[in-house]
Amino acid sequence: MTKDPVLVVDDLKMHYVTQAGLVRAVDGVSFLVRRGQSLGIVGESGCGKSSIAMTLLKLLPDNARLVSGSISLNGVDLVPLSEDEMRSHRWTRISMVFQAAMNSLDPVYRVGDQIVEALEAHYPSAGHDSMERVRELFDLVRLDPSYILRYPHEYSGGMRQRAIIAMALACEPDIIIADEPTTALDVIVQDHILREMQTIQRSLDMSMIYISHDMAVIAEVCDVVGVMYAGKLVEFGPTAEVYARPIHPYTRALMSAFPSVRGEKHDLATLPGEPPNLLDPPSGCAFHPRCAYATDDCRTAVPPIVERGDHWAVCWNPYGE
Amino acid sequence: MAKYLLKRSAQILATLFVFLSLVFFIVNAQPGDVSNFYALNPDVPPETRERLQDLFGVNEPLWKQYIVHIRNTFTGNFGISFSHYPRSVADVIMERLPRTVVLFMTATALSFYLGFALGKVVAWRRGGWFEYTSTVSGVTLYTVFTPWFGLMMIWLFAFKAGWLPIGKFLDPVLWRDAPVDANSVFTRMILTAFVVSIVVFGVFVVTAQRRMGRARLMRIVSIALASLVVVAVWIASGTAVFAWDILRHMVLPVVTLTLISFAGTMLLTRNSMLETMREDFVMAARAKGLPERDVRDKHVARNALLPVVTSFIFSLAFAVDGGVITESIFSWPGMGQTLVSATLTEDLPLAVGAFVFVGVFVLIAHLVADILYAYLDPRIRY
Amino acid sequence: MSAADAKAKVPSSIWRARLRLASRSLSENWGLFVRTRIGLIGLAIIGLYALLAVAHPILMNTVWEPRIYDPVVGYAFDATQQPAPPSVKHPLGTDPLGRDILSQLMFSARSEFLLGLLAATVTVVIGTAVGAVAAYFGGWVDTLLMRLADIMIMMPAISVLIVLSALIGVEHLELALIIGILSGFGATGVVLKSQALSVVVKPYIDAAKSAGGGHFHIILVHVVPNLLPLSFLYMMFTVTSAIFSEAVLSFLGLLDVRMSWGLMIHTTESAGYLLQVTEFWWLIFPASLSITLLCSAFYLVGRSLDEVVNPRLRSR
Repeated sequence: MTKDPVLVVDDLKMHYVTQAGLVRAVDGVSFLVRRGQSLGIVGESGCGKSSIAMTLLKLLPDNARLVSGSISLNGVDLVPLSEDEMRSHRWTRISMVFQAAMNSLDPVYRVGDQIVEALEAHYPSAGHDSMERVRELFDLVRLDPSYILRYPHEYSGGMRQRAIIAMALACEPDIIIADEPTTALDVIVQDHILREMQTIQRSLDMSMIYISHDMAVIAEVCDVVGVMYAGKLVEFGPTAEVYARPIHPYTRALMSAFPSVRGEKHDLATLPGEPPNLLDPPSGCAFHPRCAYATDDCRTAVPPIVERGDHWAVCWNPYGE
Repeated sequence: MAKYLLKRSAQILATLFVFLSLVFFIVNAQPGDVSNFYALNPDVPPETRERLQDLFGVNEPLWKQYIVHIRNTFTGNFGISFSHYPRSVADVIMERLPRTVVLFMTATALSFYLGFALGKVVAWRRGGWFEYTSTVSGVTLYTVFTPWFGLMMIWLFAFKAGWLPIGKFLDPVLWRDAPVDANSVFTRMILTAFVVSIVVFGVFVVTAQRRMGRARLMRIVSIALASLVVVAVWIASGTAVFAWDILRHMVLPVVTLTLISFAGTMLLTRNSMLETMREDFVMAARAKGLPERDVRDKHVARNALLPVVTSFIFSLAFAVDGGVITESIFSWPGMGQTLVSATLTEDLPLAVGAFVFVGVFVLIAHLVADILYAYLDPRIRY
Repeated sequence: MSAADAKAKVPSSIWRARLRLASRSLSENWGLFVRTRIGLIGLAIIGLYALLAVAHPILMNTVWEPRIYDPVVGYAFDATQQPAPPSVKHPLGTDPLGRDILSQLMFSARSEFLLGLLAATVTVVIGTAVGAVAAYFGGWVDTLLMRLADIMIMMPAISVLIVLSALIGVEHLELALIIGILSGFGATGVVLKSQALSVVVKPYIDAAKSAGGGHFHIILVHVVPNLLPLSFLYMMFTVTSAIFSEAVLSFLGLLDVRMSWGLMIHTTESAGYLLQVTEFWWLIFPASLSITLLCSAFYLVGRSLDEVVNPRLRSR
């Protein structure tokens, strides 16, 4: 059974204008997230993952330009919306879970007040109900309600992450973007939080986008996965399919760089080189300088799309042909 | 927090001792003893001189003199002023200290408010014409040679236009047959200001829980009401005309001080805002869909406030120090002018007394800054 | 190539590399500096006054007769009344004592520069040493220096200067030293220490330690160079405060200087011309404007250096 699409992103391009030139951080990305589905976006740092998150919320710095494309959320295109119109969509339709290590909670306000603030910005007449809602949310993410009136610095890392999740859930959004949600936490806490997020997501029938550099995290919680390289999606498909039969050499390289607990044993390989400089990406397939299978085609021409059902990749030398 | 404040108090007390010792040794390094200064003054009779020698213990060994000096400081016993003979130094200072404090509290509060409000806007709209003009005019006023600027203000508004008095604390012609003396009127003015500020503070605390629009209305109404009551009471007491005279004399120095110092707060606020704007919680506040105004005022400005408040209290302390200049220009009879004139007339007891008081004032301001900082930053509070 | 040759060659190539790096970052930073515009305005003003300062002794030795144009003891015999309004021979007029204003202005410019540079150098040398030593050694050295800094910061500087001027005669040299000590052991030292703290935790410091470098060698070679940009910035601000303090004190008649911009206004005030702003403008404006302009110039240069040196303020 396929549910309705919640978020349809089509040919999204977002560039930064810097002194050194144009940085193509998001360069023609298209994907679709259905209700209740969770999408993972994976890639090395500096390949445009976080830029996608900021573009979807249209929280862009002054030097960013949304060049083209559309972001259709429940049928409404966010791209042409004004800042005021966009504001009413933020958090009620699309919200975000920030990294725990980041100071995404304001140090000078109580955590409860920061959630109430989000609620009151969107439901100005809620009054006392908003405090009730905060209690519900704390319950949902298993935080002690006595912490509602405490300051962020009194929280542990794991608790802070739960509070951030509670905050993201406050206005019952259709889709939540989680940018490296558990990166800074230790493995045990990381596992707990991921599982709880998954439970909450299923019980509320929400959609999620996980953004991570960690293949293991994505494998655990996502139904669909997209692999990003140099501002482009290079492979996309159901998680099980992509992990079992990766098409793009980059996906394979990423996977072999992480240990697998359940799968067969293999030597951990490190990927040579660094992600390309987005100011001046390599010609043809951007991955060719680091690719062991690169041919002349890879160096000169944009690779074609290889499709296997709902699993696709862009590559000249797809694996498994 | 108690521990933190205790630690800071101890530090400040230690600094006070170092400061007093420094004063003592500088004075002692002078040839002769303190009584010699009195000996040069024909107004001082020999008996008084001997009494003063006892007071300062000049015939005792140095360490005893030191203890006497510290004790005298704490009991406010600085001896007799040479240029204001036979008034005691403490008496002169007690008359002048409030004048200085009121002048500079008013000016610093105004310049802080102006600087913070402008700095907020400048940081938010970076690179526009508003930033350019306010930075250039702010810096010009900030680095202008203060005596010259004060002079131009006097020349323009008092000398040429004649709107305001040229200087000094009051108009002697008006006060010649006054039924009250200036100090008591001034004390009552300070009391009034104190009561009003407590009322205003109370109104703000009470309305803090209310919604924006209603809170603003309640604040405006209650403050208007309070000022009405104050004016009525002063007029009823029949001394309003004298209070008005003192206020008129305060306008020019206050405006001058505000204009020359707001740029410091403005630029500091701007830098502090720019740093805070890079914090993740600002991005989070935007993501939450808060209006830009709330993001700016509630999150960025509130966090950017921390370093600005510290500098505000410091500048309050140093306003008194730097106020030496303004007070001299406007002949405002405060601590600064007292220090300068005592120095110029070689009235050593008064100079030392005034100096010690300026130092103590600076130290108290630091302590207030620490308390305020601890209150504003929950990370220190607990 | 012998071993000795190689040994001699290594340091020189290291220095050459460093020089190349320095010149590259200099040209990069210069670009950033130029973009702030206000810094350039400041530099232009400083240049103008430097020119005036240099020109004074030359003029005194060539066209200006010392009997008339000496800034302190000269007398304009050619004027019918003193103060005389501007004329061809005296472009900015004369003061109430018959001395040429332009000559006084130019003569004072030199001493203001000397005072500012001296105070700034003292401040920065002390401040850098305090910052580097406190951050590098930590522990009780740090505590001691920082408590001392607290005391220095809490000193009411202008009042201290006033009282000192009553007790000991204060001239330019003493003034520069007092300002330098107050600021170097105080605020500047604290700022430079916080910068130094971020340097001493860098891996290359540990590397240098394990390579057996002595404490002072490491401080001098690895810590101090990283503090120099910030030190330079604080030099600019110290120049401003030194020139300002000098002007204020001599305006109040508390300094034992022969001639300065502040003293020029003091002379005007004691002669009672202070409120005749339009009638005797040349007694008031040249000196006041010079103080204001030179102070702002150094301050503006400092501000734009701040934008260059402080990465948190750089526009993206």
